[in-house]
Amino acid sequence: MNRILKKLFSNATSLIGIILLVFFIVIAVFAPMITPPLSDDPYQIPRMSWDVNPQPPGSSMSEDMREIYLFMEKDVKWDKAICGTAEGGYDIFYGLIWGTRTAFKIGIITVFISMLIGIILGSVSAYFGSWIDEVLMRITDIFLSFPFLVAAMVLTTVLGRGLDKVMIALISFGWMGYARLIRGSILATKEETYVMAAKALGVKDAKIIWKHLLPNTIFPVMVQGSMNIGSMVITAAALSFLGVGAPVGYADWGQMVSFARNWIIGSPGNAGQYWYAVFYPGIFIVLFVLSWNLIGDTLRDILDPRLRGEL
Amino acid sequence: MKNNKKTILEIKDLKTHFFTEDGVVKAVDGVDFKVYEGETLGIVGESGCGKSVTAFSIMQLLDYPGKTVGGKILFKGEDLLEKSEAEMRKMRGKDIAMIFQEPMTALNPVLTIGFQISESLRMHFKINKTEAMKKSIELLDKVGIPAPEQRVNEYPHQLSGGMRQRAMIAMALSCDPILLIADEPTTALDVTIQAQILELMKSLLRDFNGSLIMITHDLGVIAEIADRIAVMYAGKIVEYADKKTIFHNPSHPYTFGLLTSIPRLDMEVERLNVIPGIVPNPLHFPDGCKFNTRCKFATNKCREEEPVLNELENGHLVRCWHSDKVIEEAKKIF
Repeated sequence: MNRILKKLFSNATSLIGIILLVFFIVIAVFAPMITPPLSDDPYQIPRMSWDVNPQPPGSSMSEDMREIYLFMEKDVKWDKAICGTAEGGYDIFYGLIWGTRTAFKIGIITVFISMLIGIILGSVSAYFGSWIDEVLMRITDIFLSFPFLVAAMVLTTVLGRGLDKVMIALISFGWMGYARLIRGSILATKEETYVMAAKALGVKDAKIIWKHLLPNTIFPVMVQGSMNIGSMVITAAALSFLGVGAPVGYADWGQMVSFARNWIIGSPGNAGQYWYAVFYPGIFIVLFVLSWNLIGDTLRDILDPRLRGEL
Repeated sequence: MKNNKKTILEIKDLKTHFFTEDGVVKAVDGVDFKVYEGETLGIVGESGCGKSVTAFSIMQLLDYPGKTVGGKILFKGEDLLEKSEAEMRKMRGKDIAMIFQEPMTALNPVLTIGFQISESLRMHFKINKTEAMKKSIELLDKVGIPAPEQRVNEYPHQLSGGMRQRAMIAMALSCDPILLIADEPTTALDVTIQAQILELMKSLLRDFNGSLIMITHDLGVIAEIADRIAVMYAGKIVEYADKKTIFHNPSHPYTFGLLTSIPRLDMEVERLNVIPGIVPNPLHFPDGCKFNTRCKFATNKCREEEPVLNELENGHLVRCWHSDKVIEEAKKIF
């Protein structure tokens, strides 16, 4: 384990990934201090004004908005939109900061749960074989036959708006890759003599899978998982952009990009007028996904079984 | 004299077949033998004759396409073939344990030696982690591993081949099994380590009051350790007798061939004998005696009718029509 960490820190690409990730973790952890919430639900982006048009970076909170917050007995410490506001006066900076928490939530929870489902189904399927394998793998095939984005979109539409619904949809159609991956590794590993030796000592099947097989086979799944954290966030953003994801005003980067949909091209003669509306949430998504991909890449290099010979 | 010892394991007409796409492979086809308390039975034969399959059948560890299709495996009077998988699992490791051929692959590379030894202890005796670890250290000490307190926390790749095999033996003996099956425990080791491991097994056998089934193709190993020997060929036992009889009065042409093809200190020969031909394809065994294609004593009777296992003298069983001729020939040499 120490060796893995050492390698992660000594490699330039993974170091960039780690620095980016630490940056996002710091933002997520200190979000309430960086931008104190102005409503009861901290994930609700506060509005700086009633303007329909996005306002440029540095614009202040409008007077009537300030009065509303004061009336609600809120302490308005934060009255400058340093990254500008999106359509409807939503503060972009606030959305970026609290959106980091949303991104971590989506990425880690969906990947963790779908990895768990995949590992359980894949290992049971490979270990017991015969009809169990046949049934479980055909179910996996059925799920695989749906195009991921379309299936997730349909399911979210059916379930309704909301981040939890998005996550359910992403998990429902995101576990098959892990199941396939772990099944393949276990099919190869279960032929090893040490599995037979463990059986000859009377070790229970569940324990053989958990203690003997998974530690030998889980690395490719972990690499896959770390890469997928990024792509899950992208997919969630895509769903929000298409209008079936997070509700309006929710601090979610995809939702903020969807705010910018009408303003990507500015007014005639000034195409870049509203650049901040799409640039900030866009760059956060890109950097977040990039950090996970860089870490995943390096993890793959480190944990590759062919390179693990030196272990 | 030996017959009044208690029988630990009795195998009656064991048949284990593999149902492959090309046809049925009769890997073990009607094997009978008995293992008495405190005794070592050696099973000898070349690769693919069914000796390991016999061992796995006793343990009930064969997976598809292998299946035990007939016979009885009586362990202390109970038929193992009638036991459920859960009952079998409770017996594995505790009553019957196994030592594997390759210590390199039979230990899990990602688990410590201590974990692997204490795993079965914890399961069969329901003791806690610390106690099991303490017992593991004792066991490692018993099998002659120096600094066991340190070794117990090491991984298999940190141990040498001989030490790994010692650790395997410690694992197998951890729960004091009544029957130990050793499947070619010395094959993967070099000769000096082989001698050490054999020495260790012999000394452990003295305090260990169970029985041992030693599976090997190495007649030297068998001569060291076994009390009685079963020679297997093509899924059947062809000769079965005590050690002295096998080495001095071989009565089956295959045993005779094996014995004349190894160098012996007490004999001087110009050239070592070879058994002509190859092991027949298990999908297409010859008619009659399965050894007839390679046997210099073979007659038409051998090609038509399969011989039965008949008793020559007390406890000496041979599956051959012409054992008298073999005995005569053997007398000239041994």
